[in-house]
Amino acid sequence: MSVAHATALAVLLIVAPALPGIATKTRAVLTGRRGAPVLQLYYDLGKLVRKGSVYSVTTTWVFRTGPVVLLGSLVAAALLLPLDGRDAPAGFSGDLVAFAGLLALGRFALVLAGLDTGSSFEGMGASREVTFSSFAEPALFLCFAALVLATGDASLSGMLGAPVRVAWSHAAASMSLVGLSLFVLLLAENSRVPIDDPATHLELTMIHEVIVLDHSGPDLALILYGSALKLALFGALIVGVFLPRADLAAPAATGVLVLGLALVGVAVGVVESVMARVRLTQVPALITGGAVLALFGIILLLR
Amino acid sequence: MSYVAASICLILAGGGAALTVSRRVRLGHALFRLLVGGGCLLGAGPAIAALIGLDMPDVRITTGVPGGPWVFGLDTLSGAFLLAIVTVGGACAFYGIPYLAGDAPRRAVHRAHALVALLVAALAVVVTARAVMPFLIAWEVMAVASYLLIVFEHERPAVRRAGMLYLVATHASTLALFALFAIWGREARDLTFAALTACAPTLPDGGAAVLALALVAFGLKAGIVPLHVWLPEAHAAAPSHVSALMSGVVIKMGIYGLIRVVAMLATPPAWWGWLVLALGVISGVLGVVWALAQHDIKRLLAFHSVENIGIILIGVGAGALGLAYGAPTVAVLGFAGATLHTVNHALFKSLLFLGAGSVIHATGTRDIDRLGGLGTRMPLTATAFLIGSAAIVGLPPLNGFVSEWLIYRSLLGSGISMSAIRIAVLATGALALIGALALACFAKVMGVVFLGRRRDATTHDAHEAPRGMTWPIVALAGVCMAIGALPALVVPAALRVGVLLSGGPAMPLTITGDPASAALTVYTLSVTTGLLAAWLLWNSPLGRRRMPATSETWGCGFARPTARMQYTSSSFAAPLVAAFRSVAGVHTHRSACAFETHAGDPVLDGFALPAWSRIRAVARWFHPLQRGTLSRSIIYVVAAVLVVLVYLVAAGRAA
Amino acid sequence: MPHAIPHATPLVLLLIVLTDLAVLGTMRLSTCIRALGVQGLLLGLLPVSIAPTLSVHAVGLAVGTVAVKAVVLPWFLVWAIREAAVRREIEPSIGPIASLLLGAGAVALAFAIAARLPLPPGPDALLVPYSLATVIIGFVVLTTRRKALTQVIGYLMLENGIYLFGLTQTERVPFLLELGVLLDVFVGVFIMGIVVFHINREFDSLDSTRLTELAD
Repeated sequence: MSVAHATALAVLLIVAPALPGIATKTRAVLTGRRGAPVLQLYYDLGKLVRKGSVYSVTTTWVFRTGPVVLLGSLVAAALLLPLDGRDAPAGFSGDLVAFAGLLALGRFALVLAGLDTGSSFEGMGASREVTFSSFAEPALFLCFAALVLATGDASLSGMLGAPVRVAWSHAAASMSLVGLSLFVLLLAENSRVPIDDPATHLELTMIHEVIVLDHSGPDLALILYGSALKLALFGALIVGVFLPRADLAAPAATGVLVLGLALVGVAVGVVESVMARVRLTQVPALITGGAVLALFGIILLLR
Repeated sequence: MSYVAASICLILAGGGAALTVSRRVRLGHALFRLLVGGGCLLGAGPAIAALIGLDMPDVRITTGVPGGPWVFGLDTLSGAFLLAIVTVGGACAFYGIPYLAGDAPRRAVHRAHALVALLVAALAVVVTARAVMPFLIAWEVMAVASYLLIVFEHERPAVRRAGMLYLVATHASTLALFALFAIWGREARDLTFAALTACAPTLPDGGAAVLALALVAFGLKAGIVPLHVWLPEAHAAAPSHVSALMSGVVIKMGIYGLIRVVAMLATPPAWWGWLVLALGVISGVLGVVWALAQHDIKRLLAFHSVENIGIILIGVGAGALGLAYGAPTVAVLGFAGATLHTVNHALFKSLLFLGAGSVIHATGTRDIDRLGGLGTRMPLTATAFLIGSAAIVGLPPLNGFVSEWLIYRSLLGSGISMSAIRIAVLATGALALIGALALACFAKVMGVVFLGRRRDATTHDAHEAPRGMTWPIVALAGVCMAIGALPALVVPAALRVGVLLSGGPAMPLTITGDPASAALTVYTLSVTTGLLAAWLLWNSPLGRRRMPATSETWGCGFARPTARMQYTSSSFAAPLVAAFRSVAGVHTHRSACAFETHAGDPVLDGFALPAWSRIRAVARWFHPLQRGTLSRSIIYVVAAVLVVLVYLVAAGRAA
Repeated sequence: MPHAIPHATPLVLLLIVLTDLAVLGTMRLSTCIRALGVQGLLLGLLPVSIAPTLSVHAVGLAVGTVAVKAVVLPWFLVWAIREAAVRREIEPSIGPIASLLLGAGAVALAFAIAARLPLPPGPDALLVPYSLATVIIGFVVLTTRRKALTQVIGYLMLENGIYLFGLTQTERVPFLLELGVLLDVFVGVFIMGIVVFHINREFDSLDSTRLTELAD
């Protein structure tokens, strides 16, 4: 791992909690409110880390392991992304499978931790989480498949690295469809409007937030930070598709990444302020819509 | 080869010991353990030797055997399957002794042990036979031994029904095998596999008939949708260690046969590759959707076997397409992934079945919705089951991920090439759907059975299984973790199988120099250690500034939450089952105060059983013919002879 | 004068297929109509972007298309919903996921067919797969939606696909498209008249599965 890799990774880990803040701020501004500060999540994390945890008597080691595995797997997945625009610290052929697998590992840990409490609310959240991710994961792989076809490279370093610029020159339509599809997935996988509403506190309307009802203190901090990091990872995928930056020097490439992430945050905020949450039964159709975008991109490439 | 023969003899001797020394139970069990364990260890040696690339000469027996020379051999493909057989076979044989101990007063338990030994020995012969005759004999021994084990609890009508279904399926499979070898052997010099390989290019239509028959014969054994109807019934009916053995290795003989036929035919036509790929996608998706709807833990695991057979077939299909379109990397990775996934599935599926057996042993029920909170009572079993679940879902850093990664790489590699094979890249989406649905299903099983609180009195005196039952499970979990953390241990061997199947050493992908698997090993190893270190740190006093407090689970305003308010397996799976309702085969029964769902098998209920009853209805017309007196039977015989004579005369005149 | 937006055509075609998929994916009638309106607007852009030079004819066609397909028809449909008090939800005979996947299959089929047709390179080869895709998806909507109004939408999509096909023939067959747009107006008025007043009055329902009751 070179200095450039380490810097880019560190920058991603540091700016990640600002991303939900940017989205919330955008939403507030567009709806004429002042809103919480952009850095609110940093304050929350600081507060939670200083608190103690409360564990339910029904829980076992599975509950205590969940948050650690969630965050650990997300950090491990970040190692596979070419954050500096060229290559990843730990890239190899087929690493995109490991990327998706690690996201799934984090999800598995979180879902089991939720079920460990024996509460029907966590059960409900866990059920919804696995349901919607069952639709999101094939969509993610269709995006990856389209990128493989467009760039001719089966690793994340290639798909989001140097060959991206060439791919834009001959398959612009497919690339933009993939980017769009990834944005739908970002909304779905990170429980944003129109799939879920992170701002409400009605458990019945929520997916992700309800699994973590019983987590508290530092454990909750890990989960909240993990959610922000997951948003940043998907944001980095989108930035990698739309802003090829292999020609830039490493610091500039990292700067563009941060800028791109901020734009993604703004886009999420805009979507949240113009759209309403769809009914839970419609969510699979929405995610399938995202998958069909990627599928259309593939059709254009296979022509 | 002589080691393999010795190993098979030892295993058979172990079975014999269990059978003959049945009076003195302890001695019989000790002998059985010693001989079967020794035989399995002895068999692992040559299997590993074959896998690391040592060449072993074939053994030919030419005199005193019917059906031409009998040849036995061990190449990397056989080695991979043999290793799975002895590992899983040993674990299941050991597990069976304490598992069946409770049944001893009522049933002939020693016979079941002997049959397990016979089954393992027959399996070892199936994968090492290199001639049609010994292959078919071992195949039939395997089928009959499995049948006798399935009907172990034969006083239950459901078990007898499952056994009958299995018998019909397995004999249909054997019939198709007879046809296959009859067509193929007509062209060959003798009935050895070498002779069949030599005459493969002369088969009409590129061996279309052989390939289609192979798909039916081996598909019936492997449980490819829609030929899987016997599988969930039989697995649910058999004792758990037998289910583990069947799901782990017996159905894999279908995969072995399929791959062996491809290896002998050299280059399968493209349509066959596409067909296998499509069948794999269908089996995978439908298998996991059906599994999601189940409440019976063993039926659920059985449907997951259908799903994993689907994943393996996707690998085989990708490999066959790679051969057909001349994309060697795709072919090698596809076959390597399929083989490795077969072995991996043998490991974690037998683990899961044995774990389910321990749960049934402890609670006496197979109904998931009556269990709950077993994790605190059976910590070892629960932990091993968790590892097995994560492995079957394909999560890193466990073994299921490694083999799925190879299959994914094969499919993605097809996307880079320029021919029509590129369309195969779409199968990655199906594979991802299968994986995500499997995650949902195993989150359900883990969560509902082992986590949360206990639901009713069934689990009141649940206890950890005896040591003789936990250690085989823990050992299998250990193997799963080892392969997962160190893929470089097994990937070269898997690639060697792929190279064997793609024919010829001129591969762009050298066996030792697959840089990706080395990189993956470094990566998974660091991820594993990183996660472990983080976990230790987090749960150490260093990681926490304050001592954690304990309290009740937050009731969300309910004053008195009860355990019955927990999500059940049906409610957990309901959204997904609803999304796939057109194929899920779930029937709901409503009444004024009850709501019940019944998860069936749409192929069995909607197609196989109606077809069966129609056949029976037609057969009833002929019933009077059969119920005649002796004289009438003689008339039939004479009539038949006359018809044949007339035919011969007519045929002679025509010629 | 060379046309101003040379690279717009592929983008416009892409967006047209996206509006097709939007119609398939949504469960709300209003979204359907909005998507159809956007499609009309996009179709109006095409005669301008595809013409080698910016002619009065192309501009006129564009204006006419936009007026009919993006303004009049959507407005008419919205008015029909309000007048007939149709329920705002679509009740398709297959679910939205299946519809979307069917749509993806339709697009794949269209491209596969177009790749096998002996088309001259140029705008024709570009337009034909998209036109086929829109036609097939129009058929899917026609056959899988129960309500008469959604079937009208399906029919209009079908016609939009034919319009796309007609664009390739503007040089050879003059006034083909203009006729098509006229047909739109005629058929739109005709069908709506029948649908809204006749069916609604006679059967108190816009559910076309009930139409089979007319058999005797």
